[in-house]
Amino acid sequence: MTAPSATFGATRRAAVREFGSAVVTIMVKELRSRMRGRRAFIVLTVYLAILALITYGVYVVVAPNARGFNGGGFGGFGGQSNASALIGQSIFTLLSIFQLILVCFIAPAFTAGQISLEREKQTLDLLISTPMRPGAIVIGKLAAALAFVVLMIVAAVPITAIVLMYGGASIEDIVRQQVVLLATALALGAIGLFFSALLKRTQAATVLTYITVLALTLGTAMLFIFWSVVVNQDEGGFGIGPPERAPEQLMYVNPMVGMLDVVANTEPGGFGGINSMLAQLRGDAPDMGGEVICEGNQCRPVDQFGNPVNDVIETGSGYWWPRVSLSFVVVAALLTLASMRLVVPAGMRWALRRPRRRPPISDQPLAVGAPNAEGAPTIQEMREEPES
Amino acid sequence: MTPMHPVVETRGLVKRYGDQLAVAGVDLVVGAGEIYGLVGPNGAGKTTTMKILATLLAPTAGEAYVTGIPIGSDPIEVRRRIGYMPDFYGVYDDLRVWEYLDFFARCYGVPANRRAPMIGELIEIVGLTEKRDAYVESLSRGMRQRLCLAHTLVHDPALLILDEPASGLDPRARVEMREILRELRSMGKTILVSSHILPELGELCTGVAIIDRGRLLRSGSIHEIERSLRASALLRIDVLGDEASVLAAREWLGTDSRIADVLETKPTSDGAVRIEASFDGPPDAQADLLRAMVGAGHRVVGFSQATSDLEEIFLKVTGQIDEEAAA
Repeated sequence: MTAPSATFGATRRAAVREFGSAVVTIMVKELRSRMRGRRAFIVLTVYLAILALITYGVYVVVAPNARGFNGGGFGGFGGQSNASALIGQSIFTLLSIFQLILVCFIAPAFTAGQISLEREKQTLDLLISTPMRPGAIVIGKLAAALAFVVLMIVAAVPITAIVLMYGGASIEDIVRQQVVLLATALALGAIGLFFSALLKRTQAATVLTYITVLALTLGTAMLFIFWSVVVNQDEGGFGIGPPERAPEQLMYVNPMVGMLDVVANTEPGGFGGINSMLAQLRGDAPDMGGEVICEGNQCRPVDQFGNPVNDVIETGSGYWWPRVSLSFVVVAALLTLASMRLVVPAGMRWALRRPRRRPPISDQPLAVGAPNAEGAPTIQEMREEPES
Repeated sequence: MTPMHPVVETRGLVKRYGDQLAVAGVDLVVGAGEIYGLVGPNGAGKTTTMKILATLLAPTAGEAYVTGIPIGSDPIEVRRRIGYMPDFYGVYDDLRVWEYLDFFARCYGVPANRRAPMIGELIEIVGLTEKRDAYVESLSRGMRQRLCLAHTLVHDPALLILDEPASGLDPRARVEMREILRELRSMGKTILVSSHILPELGELCTGVAIIDRGRLLRSGSIHEIERSLRASALLRIDVLGDEASVLAAREWLGTDSRIADVLETKPTSDGAVRIEASFDGPPDAQADLLRAMVGAGHRVVGFSQATSDLEEIFLKVTGQIDEEAAA
């Protein structure tokens, strides 16, 4: 019984190889048209120039202040940080948030037309009628679109690395920032691709994609904040009882929360007002006009004067960025699967079935069942429910 | 491998869109090496039939085989054996001609070492050698059509499914397209080609299927269909002379037992009068008739058997079917 299983393994390997080369085929074609000419070069240059300008701008603004308050208290730092770290953290924060916003705009823009444009230009049928699996087409398109976004993200690492000279953010922080950026690009790219496969018109797909991105970034945060306010009021509008927290999972699909979490944890105890904002969001911080000092899942509220007002709170939530990144990977995987199904024309879902070994073609397949005289159809057993 | 299979075989193919029956039980058999024409008006079901064969649509009922492989059970394998050119399609504007073909060669899994020489050959076959490095965007309509035809050939398929390959082309480009098809036939390809413009297919096809409103009305070679439509040949006899002598010629023809019917008399451009008559009999009987007619003193300047073109046949077939339906 080893022979058949060996053949099966071989067919399987061949199928995987075929799938891989199909993905590469789509990528090569997409990148050929995308990277052609000067456009990609200019976009990348402008992008990096803006990041460099931001870095310089932050330095110019923050450096004198930081020096002036060196050793004294400044903002939420409670005097713990020196000027150099403050500059480093400020640069890191702004670069991270700016890059995240750009990724939120760019990643969906690259994918929202990929399938619908093929439909509009009537090239999809030519593509579908090749032996390539729909999965390879979808994944190839997503990979090609993300390749450029990844290039932009990775190309910005040397600029971000300037913060290592100032301190305040470590290499680990930069790695985390990259993880959140890449996961965000993946998820938002997959959202664009999904709508592109779902809808006929690119315009509609683009609009819906950006609405979704908006809902993920602003929508979830607002819902999270209003949740406790609305849920915990009696008829008179007065707060009753201890505030009930919104389900934390809402925050796991918010790229901003992921990035703020990375930024906030650049130093033990948290950085600036961001951490306290996050703590408010999490519901960890009793609203006393004070701050919360957090490290990982341990938070300690302090009053206006920086004195601890309570014991350490076990928030149970810990760092948020890994959850955000993980849930984005899951979202991307699910949407990519859905897109694969949508690319295949209705009624042809069997094209998605896993490749199997071809049954031997009988020599006389046409002898089975005599053709009926008046052309009455022999009902072929369709695996799909008929379209209605 | 399996030469006994026809390249295309459909049995009772049905496609229904809601209430509308696009294809209503079509049986087709196309043998290897044939150029087979699907003929019919717009909306007859030609495109739907071709899309089903190209595995882009699932039939509502019925069976279809390409080189003996049932399309429903192994669409991927079927796709490897066909090259499909849709009636409406777009091209990737921002690729060069060779890149376009290279892309599709990769899509069909053509090994890298075979791609470059094969693309060179294909570009030559469709006459785009000078445009090899041009962007697809810059090609004329006829060139794009030829490029799309070339893309159906990258994996050396047994069957080409060409949906309206000559639509929207100027007469010259149409002739070029026909020459390419002829060349492909000489390469041993089986070609299933559709058209609503009939004359362009007539001289090319080894067989045709006439389709109207989803039904297959007639199929076979043009001669077979012609014979099935009309037992007799149509003779065109041009006679010189005044009105009386033409009338005499008509009457003379009417007395011949092999003339079933004298149909029409009309003047030709060179001063003669053309008499059309349907005639039962072999060619040598026609020769006898001509000799007898000349012997009887009629001044015959033209004597020929009319060959009906595809257009005529099509109109006759659809007309006949309508009459049967009305009866």
